[in-house]
Amino acid sequence: MSLKRELPTSTISGFALSGILVLTILNILLHNIPHPVTTAGDKLLKLNASEGVANAVTTVVVYFRGFDTLGEIAVLFIASLGIGLMLHSNTQCEIKTDSNFMLKTASKILFPIIILFGIYVMIYGHLSPGGGFQGGVIIASGVLLLLISDRSFEVPHAMIVALETFAGVSYVLIGLIGLLVLDKFLGNFLSPDISDMGLLFSGGIIPIIYIIVGIKVGSEMSLIVQNLIKRDENV
Amino acid sequence: MIGLIILVSFIGIVIIAFASIIQKKLADSIILFMGVGLGSVILFFVFKAPDVALTEAVIGAGISSLTFLMALKHLGVKG
Repeated sequence: MSLKRELPTSTISGFALSGILVLTILNILLHNIPHPVTTAGDKLLKLNASEGVANAVTTVVVYFRGFDTLGEIAVLFIASLGIGLMLHSNTQCEIKTDSNFMLKTASKILFPIIILFGIYVMIYGHLSPGGGFQGGVIIASGVLLLLISDRSFEVPHAMIVALETFAGVSYVLIGLIGLLVLDKFLGNFLSPDISDMGLLFSGGIIPIIYIIVGIKVGSEMSLIVQNLIKRDENV
Repeated sequence: MIGLIILVSFIGIVIIAFASIIQKKLADSIILFMGVGLGSVILFFVFKAPDVALTEAVIGAGISSLTFLMALKHLGVKG
């Protein structure tokens, strides 16, 4: 039995590292608070007016970086595919206990409101903060509420497949139509009118693409959530 | 005022994150990790990124904690 106690080196180094990190980030934060928008943001905001969409982030995500968004959706699809391959089961779900009656009653009231809010965020993505990704995940969280409250509930598989196929195909089709009409992929062929900025029907193809993204993200995330909750015990 | 909000939420994030890594139970760590997401929602909103704040609120509170909890249950770790 040694008299020399070992120094807790990992704890000490953890404290030191987090202290350095805190000081660095505090320094960055305190130096950057009063400044207005940076120059790149100013340039993007000026370009944003050419498309007639009120929310500048939506223009960047769907129009200036539309091809990247297509790649992001492909990444999400591959993630959903992997989770489905690893966890999907045809056997009965493993949730044995019945859920709380408060949860059952509240989910019946809350589920339509959550779905409505998700669709609102999806459709108004070009006017207010939000958009396809956020709206889709909100809808998936509504499906999660149903899944944990009602153990016999299952996401209709055929409907999910139909929605996802429709969304993916129409995204690429809209891009190809832009390529045919305007000689660039995802060109805004519906000729946005800048005087319409702020209206629901404005921005040409940008709100259409964001709604498509929302449908695809919502169906994929619902499937992921279902596969995570109702998976085979023996996998 | 905005500087105060930023400071309080940032220090809160650091404290909650440290508390979450020194927990004995993994489930407690996951619950505290959701608190880190809450603090970063406030930070994103103050720094004029409401889109990112909405995404973080939905994913950080709902989907990622569900994934961690389900993984914990799947691994069968006690406590």
